[in-house]
Amino acid sequence: MISQLNTLMLLAGKIFAILGTIIYFIFSVVMVKQVAAMSQNVHDKFNGILIAFSYLHLAFSLLLILLAVILL
Amino acid sequence: MPRSKDLDTIAPDDPITPSPVETAVTINSSSPIKKKKKKILSAEVPPSVEPNKSANMKFRQKIYEMIDGKTAHSLSAFLARPKVFTFDTRDDEEEIILVLRRHWFTNVHWILLFIFMLLAPALLSFVPLLNFFPVRYQTVFILFWYMITFAIAFEHFLSWYFNVFIITEERVIDVDFYNMLSKKFSEAKISMIQDVTSTQGGVSQTVFNYGTILIQTAAEIPVIKIELIPNPALVIKVLQQMRGEEEQETLEGRIK
Repeated sequence: MISQLNTLMLLAGKIFAILGTIIYFIFSVVMVKQVAAMSQNVHDKFNGILIAFSYLHLAFSLLLILLAVILL
Repeated sequence: MPRSKDLDTIAPDDPITPSPVETAVTINSSSPIKKKKKKILSAEVPPSVEPNKSANMKFRQKIYEMIDGKTAHSLSAFLARPKVFTFDTRDDEEEIILVLRRHWFTNVHWILLFIFMLLAPALLSFVPLLNFFPVRYQTVFILFWYMITFAIAFEHFLSWYFNVFIITEERVIDVDFYNMLSKKFSEAKISMIQDVTSTQGGVSQTVFNYGTILIQTAAEIPVIKIELIPNPALVIKVLQQMRGEEEQETLEGRIK
């Protein structure tokens, strides 16, 4: 009974993690678009760095999906 | 050769040679007139332009004296005559006088939240919430947590960095990004500004000298609200000078 509960909990955790990371990936795509749109309106010294950060964030969120699929 | 005095009776092919007397008259008479005209031009035009220019320069010079040296660094909330900063609807020759962001103190709450969220996984050793899960699960959850932490901080920074209020020599512009996908762009000509009000309340606003400015305009957008900007009194003074300059231009009929 306890082992079944354990398995169920792990399965729930896995589903939560994978779904969560996928949703997070969509969010990071939107963030890239948002930074691009903002940078088009207002140009300043750090725009390039912010765009780079948004792409880095997108890459990490993709990596997180892969990690969740592989590790869990 | 006898010449007809009546020019209407001259045939088209008839050669016209000006008499020596006439040429002498034209040469002698034309040059003084031209000189006189030039003299009049040179005497009249500069007085009508130079005092006006100098009057406008006085306004502008006063503004420069007020704001110069107030910018600490390029990530400042108060950018005076920025060199790098620009925006998409800017005209080629439009000079940016001031760029304002929210005061740095308004960022303290999310910076504290960011630090707390960074340190939160360390608390897991005291409160074993994830011990039920295997280590690989815990690793993914903690990585996910850090990603969310970064995203929250990044979103707050973007909101601070891109929500700007711009004063140019011609207009005031308020650019607001409310959330990830909605944007508001308000603009009013300086000549359309009717009334400027500032409010400062609370301990932090009094101590750190920041507040909110309400600009009432005769333009399509009746009120432009600029929230929590540094040094509101100085901004109001700058706007007053700009309005003075604009009124001067209107009096001279030099409206762009």
